[in-house]
Amino acid sequence: MNTTGIPLKDPAVSAAAGDTEQLERAYIDASTRVPVLMFYTSAIAWLIVGTVLAMVVSFKLHSPDLLSGISFLTWGRLRPAHMNVMVYGWASMAGMGTAVWLMARLCRATLRFPLLLAAGAAFWNVGVLIGVGAILLGDSTGFQWLEFPRYVAVILFVAYTLMASWAVLMFRHRRGDQIYITQWYLLGAFLWFPWLYAAGQLMLFVVPVQGVLQSAVTWWYANNLLFLWFGAIALGTAYYMIPKVIGRPVYSYHLATIGFWTYALFSSWTGMTRLVDGPFPAWMITASIAATILTMIPVATVGLNHHLTMKGYFPLLRYSPTLRFTVFGAMSYTVFSVLGVLISLRSVASYVNFTQVSIAYTHLGLYAFFTMTIFGSMYYIVPRLVGREWRYGSLIKLHFWASAYGIGLMTLMLLAGGFLQGANLENPTLPFSESIETVLPYLRGRSLAGILMTVAHFIFAYHFGLMLLGLGRTSTVPTFLNPVEAETSGGH
Amino acid sequence: MKGLAPLFLGIFGTFAFSWIGLTVIPTWQIGHLNPESDEEGTDIYPRPQSGMFERGGHVYAANGCVYCHSQQVRADYIADDIERKWGNRRSAPRDYIFERPVFLGKMRMGQDLANIGARAPAPEESPAPTGAASPAAQGAAVSSPPAEAAAKTAKASPPPSQAASPAPATSPATAPPASPASSPATAPAGTSPASTAPPNASPPPGQRTGVASPSPGQMANTTPGGSSPAAPSAQTPGAPWPIQTAGLPPIYSAAWHHVHLYAPRSINPDSNMPAYRFLYEKRRIAGERSAEALQLSGSDAPPEGWEVVPTYDAKCVVAYLMGLNQSHPLKDVRSVGGAPATAGAPSPAVQGASPAPAAGGSPAAAKK
Repeated sequence: MNTTGIPLKDPAVSAAAGDTEQLERAYIDASTRVPVLMFYTSAIAWLIVGTVLAMVVSFKLHSPDLLSGISFLTWGRLRPAHMNVMVYGWASMAGMGTAVWLMARLCRATLRFPLLLAAGAAFWNVGVLIGVGAILLGDSTGFQWLEFPRYVAVILFVAYTLMASWAVLMFRHRRGDQIYITQWYLLGAFLWFPWLYAAGQLMLFVVPVQGVLQSAVTWWYANNLLFLWFGAIALGTAYYMIPKVIGRPVYSYHLATIGFWTYALFSSWTGMTRLVDGPFPAWMITASIAATILTMIPVATVGLNHHLTMKGYFPLLRYSPTLRFTVFGAMSYTVFSVLGVLISLRSVASYVNFTQVSIAYTHLGLYAFFTMTIFGSMYYIVPRLVGREWRYGSLIKLHFWASAYGIGLMTLMLLAGGFLQGANLENPTLPFSESIETVLPYLRGRSLAGILMTVAHFIFAYHFGLMLLGLGRTSTVPTFLNPVEAETSGGH
Repeated sequence: MKGLAPLFLGIFGTFAFSWIGLTVIPTWQIGHLNPESDEEGTDIYPRPQSGMFERGGHVYAANGCVYCHSQQVRADYIADDIERKWGNRRSAPRDYIFERPVFLGKMRMGQDLANIGARAPAPEESPAPTGAASPAAQGAAVSSPPAEAAAKTAKASPPPSQAASPAPATSPATAPPASPASSPATAPAGTSPASTAPPNASPPPGQRTGVASPSPGQMANTTPGGSSPAAPSAQTPGAPWPIQTAGLPPIYSAAWHHVHLYAPRSINPDSNMPAYRFLYEKRRIAGERSAEALQLSGSDAPPEGWEVVPTYDAKCVVAYLMGLNQSHPLKDVRSVGGAPATAGAPSPAVQGASPAPAAGGSPAAAKK
């Protein structure tokens, strides 16, 4: 406790027991050092690549003659390259890094079999690299988020098998009976992903399903990847980080249980909402819309749980970078889900189905929700791996605000532009080109938002680079966003 | 949570439920559709596509066309896709059974392409004498899309010379299938400068103002001294589409697609499409100018003694686009409006089915 009345240290831990536990945690953290840093470093490198690609893609969309005429720089290749770099390079690797660290900590065991993870990370990087190269050279499959050609899928799958088998082995060596909420989500993610990826590959490329079902499988895959892979990792992370930083247990295990199972049950059925009014049997789409509406149950329970956990501790957002990013992510989960319900309703979908609104939706999920949560976890984990504290609180603050304003502006621009585009598309008295001209100014605004996010990512990469080089602060006090008046110690 | 077994079972169970529900059962339901045929078994739809079509689909995928173009027409009671002349009926699962990969698409930064092949001029059109406009219907051509177009045209300052060169209107028989109301009223719209629609505005039938091309599969006759001199004269910078096409191939013909892929903004100044010049080869003319060479004009035209010819990939992607055609009626889908009369679709069968009173009990209608 400090003079501001904000508990910045885990209060539950008594002195003697605390020392043992802290020592144990330090050992566990040290054992995760190499693999987790390997994941994080690759992820941040991919983040920078993906950000640069995103900027080019964004500018080319409203200035089609920019860099055109060169096959590997054409918009239709850069865009899937950007998406896949972000999905498989950045988000998956960063998520796995955090998941590995959380798994080790929650199993209360030092990390075993680091070679499995290192090999997995290396293979994964090779896979993404070849895949992005293949897309740029014109070997894309054209299926959303499954653009990597088949040979790359094999590499990724091998890499993934290595990592998933690590997770299973690790889980078997856990200590203690209690399986914490975070572990449910992480186990779910680790087990869902291979099934999902294998099913997508098999049903699209090995034994392809007929006709429109290819699209159904594609969107089933993409939505489940968003919810059951990225979403599950992010929710698990939030369930760990929020109570950890404020030093208070999760408000209700019961709510968490309801939230987890309804999340697994309903969000996995939402894929077809991307194809409302498409050439499908109506029951498929209706079932997905119903499932999307039902996802309000996990949203409400998870949101309520986080809120009640945080209650009374919101002033901490002023200081802790981890908490600020994680709470932003957790709140975005609600916004993302509510928007998902809104745009899946038939009456709305007929307007926004083919507009930029779907881009806004994806970015809300993958950036505002997932990426921000993972940024938060990185701010917590990296100091524990390198034994240094983040060097500049101001850079973290800048990172947060540039990211937050960037994604906020981008979402607003794409939503507003998309709704207008949809309204014009559904107005047959207007020529088609009118709908495009309407959205172009908003796309320029989106590029502006992209610049903000680019700044944020470069700042973060620079700061992370300093940490890697051992140039962080040597201090027992974590780096706060704003100075805390009194001397404090302990976790942040 | 107590016990591992419930956790693992739950994780597997929930996902299996989704997997079976959204992919396995639909495969069982609509995953093994066969083409439809009439009683004699002669009029089969859909038919397997050519090898060029298939390869074109991969070029389409590789260059990310799907990120801006959808290939699905929604029902008329849901959206105005049909009113935009993107099709004469909603798309059905059966339309796609021979396509692999299928690109339903999720974005319309460009037009829907489900029926782009059906909107091409029919081959029969080519021998039609130029200037075969039917003036009888000309006066009636003031419906809302052309009116909108007129405003657009006025904005872009059309040279009056357009009126002097009456473009050949297509006869009603060759009206595009995409137009539900292929009435003579809108057919000759293109003959009057005031009522020409801009290119993006789901062109009315008469908009094929250009000189008729030999066939969709072939390039327009572009030997030097052929139609090329006409092009520069018609190329007013910033002029709207109908004027620019005066010397260019008819809209949605193969030749048109090539020019559009190579230089989208030469055809439509408002276009937001990137140019796909890497699918074309610029080369020195050796002897005769190639019959395949693109009819380019203005700044896009190659220098004297050079020509731009499509690569095999470009020909395939155009073959793919020309093959996208869902105008053929399906038994369980209600077609809207007039009959499609295209190269591929035999019109008599269509005529019978198009008003479709039978749709009342059809599955498609039942879904609503």
